[in-house]
Amino acid sequence: MAIVTEREFPIPASGNRLRIPESLSIRAASLVVLVIVWQLASIAVSAKYVPGPLPTFAALWDNAQSGALMKHFTVTMARMLLSFAIAMLVGMAIGTVMGLYRRAEQSLDLVVMVGLTIPGLCYIIVSFMWLGLNDRAAVLAIAWTTFPAIAINIWQGVKAIDQRLIDMARVFGASNWRRTARVVVPQVLPYLMAASRFGLGIIWKVTVLVELLGRSDGIGYMLNYSFQMFNMADVFAWTLFFTLVMLVIELAILKPIERRLFLWRPEIRA
Amino acid sequence: MADISVQGLTKVYRSRAHPDGLLALDGVDLSVVDQEFVCLLGPSGCGKSTVLNVLSGLEQRYAGEVKVAGKVVSHNSGHPFRVGYVFQEPRLLPWLTVRRNIEFVLESEDIARSEWRERTDAWLHRVGLRDFAEAHPHELSGGMQQRTAIARAFAVDPEILLMDEPFSGLDELTARTMRELLLEIWLETRKTVIFVTHNCFEACFLADRIVVFSPRPGKIRKDIAIELARPRNYEDSRLFELSVSVTHYVTGKSVS
Repeated sequence: MAIVTEREFPIPASGNRLRIPESLSIRAASLVVLVIVWQLASIAVSAKYVPGPLPTFAALWDNAQSGALMKHFTVTMARMLLSFAIAMLVGMAIGTVMGLYRRAEQSLDLVVMVGLTIPGLCYIIVSFMWLGLNDRAAVLAIAWTTFPAIAINIWQGVKAIDQRLIDMARVFGASNWRRTARVVVPQVLPYLMAASRFGLGIIWKVTVLVELLGRSDGIGYMLNYSFQMFNMADVFAWTLFFTLVMLVIELAILKPIERRLFLWRPEIRA
Repeated sequence: MADISVQGLTKVYRSRAHPDGLLALDGVDLSVVDQEFVCLLGPSGCGKSTVLNVLSGLEQRYAGEVKVAGKVVSHNSGHPFRVGYVFQEPRLLPWLTVRRNIEFVLESEDIARSEWRERTDAWLHRVGLRDFAEAHPHELSGGMQQRTAIARAFAVDPEILLMDEPFSGLDELTARTMRELLLEIWLETRKTVIFVTHNCFEACFLADRIVVFSPRPGKIRKDIAIELARPRNYEDSRLFELSVSVTHYVTGKSVS
């Protein structure tokens, strides 16, 4: 009985055929399947409740043509980025202090945990009630919801710093500045990356919610508006657009940064 | 001349567990002449690593006087001489290649950039890692990582070389090869070496002189000159006899 299968002896790629990496083709195939399932669901239920890919893209095109897409996208992005910057600054400061000082850790760990547990909706409502239905309140609410997750990641990162490597650098005469820049920062970087990815994941969801509750522009507002009009194609179109933007950020910004920074790691090289 | 003189070195550790202080070293006097290979031998917790930490500047709070090449080891800032240090673990920066790891310490020691390539290549070649210059530490075995650490320590052309049980984490066969390699390099360079170990046989094989420490508080119990000709050989029967008698000094049993 033949134990060796053909798979173990791949036939060398013949001639000049362009070879597409396997991971990429699997991903592309899964996307195609997803679109097909979507189309089938639309046929099976009804185009009114589940608009198929074509009506959805048509609605997206209409919104792009009218200028609504760009306008609301810009507003949402601006809120998001500003809140993200604030949440990162606050989260990094708190996380670093917690990682460095035992007293700070003891007094803040519960606060951060509780901060992470309270639903974003509560922060949003409180923030709007304090500051009114304006962008200041929106940014505050978004940043507030996001910073605990960032603080926790940075806290873990600072605690995981290997003092032995710092000692090594010191013995070999590395200055204080050099030890920080070349030994400490590279150790915290993976945690910083995780923190920003975590933060972005939260911030998207909260921003939409904030816009739905208390703003009259942005993607969240348009989703709610389409809901009120019972325009399912528009709901799908805005959701799809949102997803595409997130994918672009992930694939065009986060992934390449990660690849560059962590090329040395065995898991990522594979 | 890179001689080392330690006089009345006393170190007390204060911590939560020991609010009154834990006496780690009690009045240690030690002098090492230039080009000498000295092993500090003793059970774990006898403070022998503390001696290295003081000499390397990692431990700055101590009582007594410590001089290397006639220069006092500062109590508050960096040391005024070059130290090569091989730790128990390789302590390589995992995100840098082997070459960049060595260049990192060359740059830290303000060695001219023009010399980096030649020095790094020469030392990697010497420890048998010529083909691994562009590899990352995780791609190397434990023994190869420690070879890199040895190359790194010699590459800065140190005035003193400090080694803290560098082979205790390796399997015995690898450790033997590494000891032989170390002795070969040492015979070529004749650095002043202080080598900390708890392995009596290793100490006898390597050292010109063995300084035996007593358990806490660390004090010098015995100073033994090893008068075996170099290059030394593992199969030498005198080496075995010697290590038996040295073991008696360490365990505190009198030689009958």
